[in-house]
Amino acid sequence: MPLLSVQDLVVQFRTHDGTVHAVNGVSFDLDEGETLGLVGESGCGKSVTNLAVMRLLPQPAGHIEGGRVLFQEEDLIRLDESEMRDIRGKDIAMIFQDPMTSLNPVLTIEEQMVETIRAHKRVSKKEARARTLELLQTVGIPQPETRLRDFPHQFSGGMRQRVMIAMALALQPKLLIADEPTTALDVTIQAQVLDLLQRLAAEFGTAVILITHDLGVVAGMTKRINVMYAGYVVESATTGDLFARPRHPYTVGLLHSMPRLDAQPGEPLIPIEGTPPDLRQAPKGCPFAPRCAWRVDACWTTMPTLDPIDETAQIVTTGPKATHRIACWNPATAEEGIHAHPNRPGFTPAPPPAEAVS
Amino acid sequence: MTSSTAVVIAPTARASRGLWHDALRRLLRNGPAIIGLIFIAIFVVGAILAPYISPYDPTIGVLSQSRQGPNMTHLMGTDLQGRDELSRILYGARISLTVGVTAVFFGLIGGTIVGSIAGAAGGVVDGVLMRIIDVLLAVPGILLAIGIVAWLGHGEIQIMLAVGVSYSPMFARLLRGSLLALRESDYVLAARSMGASPLRILLRHMLPNALTPLIVQATLAAATAIIDVAGLGFLGLGPGDPRIAEWGEMLTDSSRFLQSAPYLILFPGAAIVISAVGFNLLGDGLREALDPRLKR
Repeated sequence: MPLLSVQDLVVQFRTHDGTVHAVNGVSFDLDEGETLGLVGESGCGKSVTNLAVMRLLPQPAGHIEGGRVLFQEEDLIRLDESEMRDIRGKDIAMIFQDPMTSLNPVLTIEEQMVETIRAHKRVSKKEARARTLELLQTVGIPQPETRLRDFPHQFSGGMRQRVMIAMALALQPKLLIADEPTTALDVTIQAQVLDLLQRLAAEFGTAVILITHDLGVVAGMTKRINVMYAGYVVESATTGDLFARPRHPYTVGLLHSMPRLDAQPGEPLIPIEGTPPDLRQAPKGCPFAPRCAWRVDACWTTMPTLDPIDETAQIVTTGPKATHRIACWNPATAEEGIHAHPNRPGFTPAPPPAEAVS
Repeated sequence: MTSSTAVVIAPTARASRGLWHDALRRLLRNGPAIIGLIFIAIFVVGAILAPYISPYDPTIGVLSQSRQGPNMTHLMGTDLQGRDELSRILYGARISLTVGVTAVFFGLIGGTIVGSIAGAAGGVVDGVLMRIIDVLLAVPGILLAIGIVAWLGHGEIQIMLAVGVSYSPMFARLLRGSLLALRESDYVLAARSMGASPLRILLRHMLPNALTPLIVQATLAAATAIIDVAGLGFLGLGPGDPRIAEWGEMLTDSSRFLQSAPYLILFPGAAIVISAVGFNLLGDGLREALDPRLKR
């Protein structure tokens, strides 16, 4: 059994403007100690998926409409709030994007960390303080004895993210969800924080879900990547496979819209045309179809399931031998993936069906 | 990363020693706020030391010395009953300050409880409480206070309660607004992701962060409370005992002599204005000192 198994998760937001279809049936597995990257542009549902796993969706709008979230074989969606509270912080912890706003400005670092430890463990304040010191040392805060009594505003962004990491790992959780942990940091600090995260996760045996829109970050950090688009996982592969042989047209587009050091001089970046779909419309067909150069008629009507490229392959969902799977009717070939456009004589993208035009 | 790259922050002596310490420092550098503090201090000291520094007993009049203008024996003159005006102003400060400040405190407690429940619970509870607050806010504060004093009868406690109740909707609404904003804040989400309980999040994470606008508002409200207390006294709804010196009642008693003895209006009026201005200046200073956006 994997540590975490998300199955057909559906999340919707009920707003005054109608229902937002944020996550439309996402499934993935994660083994103990494994690192998974969740990649996609803003609003593709990667953060919402993980907030749903934590049962921290914004209330009252956010609803888990279906699916299961099995964590250590227990369905988190069925737990009541107090049982879920025991899991948060102790078994599953989270790091957020902006370390400048994720720490309470009126409490010292010591108060916040001791509080977190004592929320889950029956230890004295003294013991919790000793543990806090040890953790701050581990994440590389200089002079932890004096900095303990400092307030968040006295720390730099990188140092605060280290504090956040220390706090998240305080109880040695089984799973750490890092939601864009380096997006708000200086580029020079990003690498340090990622290194630290990777080192500590390995040391503590913590599984990590790394949410990011930065392909460079996942390339170095993760063993496996799920690419998300408009609330669907559209491609799932090991990191090596995904970068070497992207097959879903959206992944191909993502990789080609990113500047690369090994590009030929003068080689243009190829942006993905169009804009992401309006999630207030109930999904019909593949959400990427309107922007896709490979689309065929079926794309407009039915969303394909996430299936192995090699149809005969035994599906492996986790680990370094995970099966390369895509949700696409007409995937790009390996060669097309290099040039980022369909290379087939006489092929034109299928026009939208008649009723959709009107 | 390795330990060799960990030496990033120079161990310089940091001037900053926490939010409150910084706020105090900013407040003490604010000229108008200092003036406000001095105004308040004058009345506070005068009220505390009234029994020792008052030249006369404020309740004993000498009828033969009725309505004397300010002179060397009576620095602020005497009233109709021949009581020393300065002594009555000093004793009046006791009533005005204690009743005004306590009333605000009552309002603050009531408003904090209602506002916390509404802001933390949200949903239907929030809706119902806020509609009740809307009704209370629709009634002018002083009118509400008059009604409550008329209902509960004369007395200092009654005035405190009346003014307190009329102020609590304002505090409740202010706190609820801050709490709603804080509920969406990153550090509250972070605290929840660490498994903190709702009560803990409210008391430890949300309320302390919502406190600063309340402190500012309470200081400003103290100014209007002093005026309201005097207003109630002026309208004949003061402490009830005519011997007690109360600024508002002193105004009522002397309003007939506006032509012949204007100083009897001037001094209590000035006392009300100066103390109210003092709290206003302090409140504005606190707002600037506590607002993180105005830092430095």
